Amino acid sequence: MLYPDPYWTRVRFPPPPLTCMNNAIMKNKSLLFVLLLLITFSLFPISVCIRSFDHKDFTRVVFEGDRGFEYNFESSKTALEIKLEKKINVKKKIEKFKNSRLVDKVVHRLDKNRSSFTVHFKSPFRIVNHFVLERPFRVVFDLSKAPGITARARLPETGGGTGKPQEEESLDPPPARKKIAIETICIDPGHGGSDLGAIGKSNVLEKDITLQVSRKLKRLIEAKLGLRVLMTRRGDTEVSLDSRVALANNQKADMFISIHVNGSFRRAARGPETFYVSLKATDQESFQLAQKENKAFDEIEKMAEEDELKMILWNMAQTEFIKDSSKLADFIQKELNILMHTRNRGVKQAPFRVLMRAAMPAVLIEVAFLTNPTEEKKLKNDSLLNEVALAIYTGINKYIYFFNSRYN
Amino acid sequence: MDKKLIYALVGSALIFFIVSLVIFLQSNRGSDESEDLSAEKDVIEEVNQPELINIKVFFYTERSRYMRPILHEVEFPGLREDLYKKLIDLLITGEEDYISPVPQGVRLRTLYFIEDENLLVLDFNEDLLLKFPAGSGTELEFIYFFVDNFCYNFKEIKKVVFLVAGNKIKSISGHIDMENPFYPHYGYLIDQ
Repeated sequence: MLYPDPYWTRVRFPPPPLTCMNNAIMKNKSLLFVLLLLITFSLFPISVCIRSFDHKDFTRVVFEGDRGFEYNFESSKTALEIKLEKKINVKKKIEKFKNSRLVDKVVHRLDKNRSSFTVHFKSPFRIVNHFVLERPFRVVFDLSKAPGITARARLPETGGGTGKPQEEESLDPPPARKKIAIETICIDPGHGGSDLGAIGKSNVLEKDITLQVSRKLKRLIEAKLGLRVLMTRRGDTEVSLDSRVALANNQKADMFISIHVNGSFRRAARGPETFYVSLKATDQESFQLAQKENKAFDEIEKMAEEDELKMILWNMAQTEFIKDSSKLADFIQKELNILMHTRNRGVKQAPFRVLMRAAMPAVLIEVAFLTNPTEEKKLKNDSLLNEVALAIYTGINKYIYFFNSRYN
Repeated sequence: MDKKLIYALVGSALIFFIVSLVIFLQSNRGSDESEDLSAEKDVIEEVNQPELINIKVFFYTERSRYMRPILHEVEFPGLREDLYKKLIDLLITGEEDYISPVPQGVRLRTLYFIEDENLLVLDFNEDLLLKFPAGSGTELEFIYFFVDNFCYNFKEIKKVVFLVAGNKIKSISGHIDMENPFYPHYGYLIDQ
């Protein structure tokens, strides 16, 4: 038995015995009644109320319905139109928002069986975020003034330097943007200071390897591509995960490369791995194997994916860049596979904290396993670290070529 | 016919009808009660008999990166939380020739299940942060060891969140975000 019945439900709450036909008929009748009630209810127009709140960095406009509805929207410079294929009930045809920083009024129009809301703004605006929430059904738009949200204090170009964790800076990512050229790359050497990271048997420290590879990579990018390179730490300093990504966001980096060395409870674990972010961990090879081997896989995976879809609505800055991050991870992983002679296991996804708030394509590279004695020995070799940096650089370069041919 | 006689006949017929109706209803009620009693008896008997539940406990092996199952038969303790604790004991104790990604000293403080959200909350002691060997691989191994084993064996659990000493943590050793719940990743399991 894979899934034992919830025994306690049977024990504690035995179903009432239906001994005569009447009960069944009554049950059917009540079902019919509920069904009729639902059908009647669905014929009534949906009631929608509109709210607007000013937050520090954005204005939130919420359309709350007494039940769910399908919609699409269009935006112009100073107006946002939400169109619905159903009749809508509203208290006022024109609702004014005198106290709102951004929203002027919302106008409701009804045309036969179609409705629309037009949100008029006091100044040009941009959509920072848009999502749907359930129970009650809400369509949410986070909006800001077009040129930018508010002036942000810019972080210094490099983080750390004090030996202590940096103070948390503004963690909110700036509004998502599509650039036409890659100008700035942020390299994040994992760990540092008192945070040693993984430790090998012969005391090789992850924080040292990540810094060495990052420095080599920085030099390669600057010399060969002439791009601006930021480092989240330049020395052996401790920088919090949130400060690292805040630096990249505030300096408007176009790419975030986090460099790490892996560890495992299994000493045999080996090979490079490149991750991009997801709320659920996946990896292509094991996913396919699990699909093949596990009997109940489909049902369970479907269930998990439904929940995952709900979670995607969660405000994760990286969401918009996942495709680009996946492509970048793929280019880098292929180069590392060639270098380390590992067969292609594909890129992986996991909810890495340092990647989640990055408002740019972002990947995390695990160069090798420090817990594997053979790989630890290799990592002591400076020429291998040069080759690792070169492989990552080649992957980045290929992504830039792909990016330029796609967007320009 | 005499009018009085007709009244008397109608009256007695009415009384007979009411008495019959009362007797019929009483007898029906009695049978319901006896059925209820027998159902209750069944329930009591069921409670008294310990139910054995098969649990597949998945462990890592040195040679493979997939977790493989070992079948355990456990007695259902009566409360689901107690059943979950039995699985925790099996996971933390480990199995010979298999790898348990739980560092020495790490213990579960408490667990609870939030039914509305299908969410299991696991609260570990501080040794999880103090004794955990760093590495994103170790973090992922630890997290999905618990998430997959629980979600696989108990279908009412769809996600798991981890606490340390009663508090949410940002990450165990600087990699994986621990503030959100985890969904199962059956790519780590081989169900054979």
